[in-house]
Amino acid sequence: MLATLAARSCRTAAGVAFVAAVATTVFLTTAHVARAYHTRFIALNCNTNNPQPTSAFTRDGSTTVALNARYEGYQWAGGCWNDNNKDDSPNDPTEDPNTGGEGPDCSGFTFKVWRESTNSSDAGGYQWNMLRNVHGPYNALAFRNGDGAPNVTYAKSGLIRMDALASSSHIGIVYAPNADGTDQIIEAKGEAYGTNIWTRTYRGDSSYGGVRRLGWSS
Amino acid sequence: MPPRAWTDPGEAPHGHRRRAGVALTTLAVVASVVAAMLIAGPRQGALGAGGAPAALSEGSLQVTNLPPLLTTPDDPPTTLRYDVTCAAPDTNPDAGCDVAGTVFVRAGQSGPFRAIPLVLDPNAAVGRYAASLPGTLAGSSFSYYAVVHDNRTGQSVTLPAGGAAAPQRSILMPRPVTVSLGAHAFGVTSRASARVASAPWGDGPTQAGLEDGPQLEPIGGSSFDVDAAGNVTVLDEAHRRLLRFAAGKPTAPTSLPVDVRGTIADLRSRADGGADVLESAADPGQTPVMHSFDVNGRTTGTWHAAQNVASALRVGPAGPEALEYPSAQWMPIGAAAGARASLTNQIRRALTGRAQNAGGQIVAEREGAEARIALVDAHGGVQVGWRIRSTTPLAEIQLAEPFGNRVLVVLRTYTDAQDEFVALVLGSRGLEQQRSIAPDEWAETAPLSRFRMVGSSLYHLGSTPAGMFVDRYDLEVQ
Repeated sequence: MLATLAARSCRTAAGVAFVAAVATTVFLTTAHVARAYHTRFIALNCNTNNPQPTSAFTRDGSTTVALNARYEGYQWAGGCWNDNNKDDSPNDPTEDPNTGGEGPDCSGFTFKVWRESTNSSDAGGYQWNMLRNVHGPYNALAFRNGDGAPNVTYAKSGLIRMDALASSSHIGIVYAPNADGTDQIIEAKGEAYGTNIWTRTYRGDSSYGGVRRLGWSS
Repeated sequence: MPPRAWTDPGEAPHGHRRRAGVALTTLAVVASVVAAMLIAGPRQGALGAGGAPAALSEGSLQVTNLPPLLTTPDDPPTTLRYDVTCAAPDTNPDAGCDVAGTVFVRAGQSGPFRAIPLVLDPNAAVGRYAASLPGTLAGSSFSYYAVVHDNRTGQSVTLPAGGAAAPQRSILMPRPVTVSLGAHAFGVTSRASARVASAPWGDGPTQAGLEDGPQLEPIGGSSFDVDAAGNVTVLDEAHRRLLRFAAGKPTAPTSLPVDVRGTIADLRSRADGGADVLESAADPGQTPVMHSFDVNGRTTGTWHAAQNVASALRVGPAGPEALEYPSAQWMPIGAAAGARASLTNQIRRALTGRAQNAGGQIVAEREGAEARIALVDAHGGVQVGWRIRSTTPLAEIQLAEPFGNRVLVVLRTYTDAQDEFVALVLGSRGLEQQRSIAPDEWAETAPLSRFRMVGSSLYHLGSTPAGMFVDRYDLEVQ
């Protein structure tokens, strides 16, 4: 049990890719079983369009991107959603990364809200539309470590709106600080939660570190 | 585009010279609540009295404000700042807003409001819409609300939602008692007086569950409470049940199934043996709900929060109250809000602080490395206020509970690598007692549910990779 818990992660990119490949094979050979829960949201709705490079991206603009995902679903390793304020793939099995449901996971959400490149050495801004299915190259731990050209670790006491708090297995974005010292965090929390704003105490929790995206124009 | 003043200033709802602006604002609030109740009609049958579901009016315009709840005479002049997010094409989220905003402010908590236009501060990274308060309000308590209008969509947002009926309050502490904590010494923590509840993680009848999924930080035992007899109740949300540890039996809980979502929620025990549970997650298009359960776990009522973020549940003199956002106010919920039109009552009876006896409030604010606590009387006067200064950053105020003529405060202090809780007993002359408590938060809980005070004891909900526990710390005060 403890080993399982220790292995929990928002997403481990390489592992997920492998699992996804295996799961795809299983899906193709057992589609009649998979259809029992598979909403095929990604297959039916999402695209692979190129992102729009943007020379100026603002915290307010990224807040808009984040709010468009509010009330949508959660998909482990996912990165595609619409804006109808409901989870179109509710109750997906939590242990299956290949359910193809709606929504991002925590790190995929951060990647799209921060409008980053799939090339981790590129710090530029890229606008991905909601229905573009992309997760990006970072898991929660990579964000926590400040991996990638756009990302740096940052003192937690100095974090502001659209900065993030990341642990080894989860990341959430500061939406608004609260007067009692908690924060309103916008995050893709999990299958049972979806993507939304909640009050959290990540800032003071030593398992979380501060992360900032570089290059905001205001 | 710079914002423009949108509507006229108003007055207090009971003022003799109420103006059209306030009347319209109040009507808009009431109308939106009524509309929400009507829209949500088909689900009403599933709810208890007064529990009409609240349909979300997320819209596209979102407004937040970090309220300056407690001020001191030597604070710099107050500027109220707002973050405003509005509709923008998916392809161009940086298009910016075309909004007009007005802050309505008045000295104290009665009398006419004065309108101050919100002005865009283009150089600010956050809080870009600002209203500088007039000098006549410097060094005084004031109350305020804002109305922001999206010129593109026609949508308006009032913050706090109650507008003139329940404005946010900023309270001057004229002579606060200053407590200087200095730099926190990590690793010097107090031993608990007793462990009053513990359960290993697992699925057995005396074990506490962890929410499933590879994507999650471990979440389990999301809240707890203790009754006057020392019986501990833990919300084992993963198993949708309460674990009840009788006083003196810390490892032999009985379990009581309850109809909850199975996700993070806050819990309060009631004197009649029942319990109230405030969910944090909600159904699509709905706000979070509070369930009331009787001593047998049967649902006796379900009420929606008025707003879409519900952070904490406490019990005031009139019953349960929830801390809700974006208004950032404590709102009566359930029976405390009245059997009818509870959503309206939640919004219109919202308070800046937690309600206390005789119309008083306890107000708590963390600002940087300083925490401020005040006991406020029914007229808005500060009975006693404290400034708690620390050279180590402070995070959330987990608990602020008056007892006798003192207040017990639990804060979290942190660096980028460490954190601990600090429990302080504050008296009228300053710090009377201080102790550090190890965080022990392996599993996530509801955000403000880690501590409870009952009698003269402080209880702490903690966890390790092995399981959850509740420790009791006896305060060395009469």
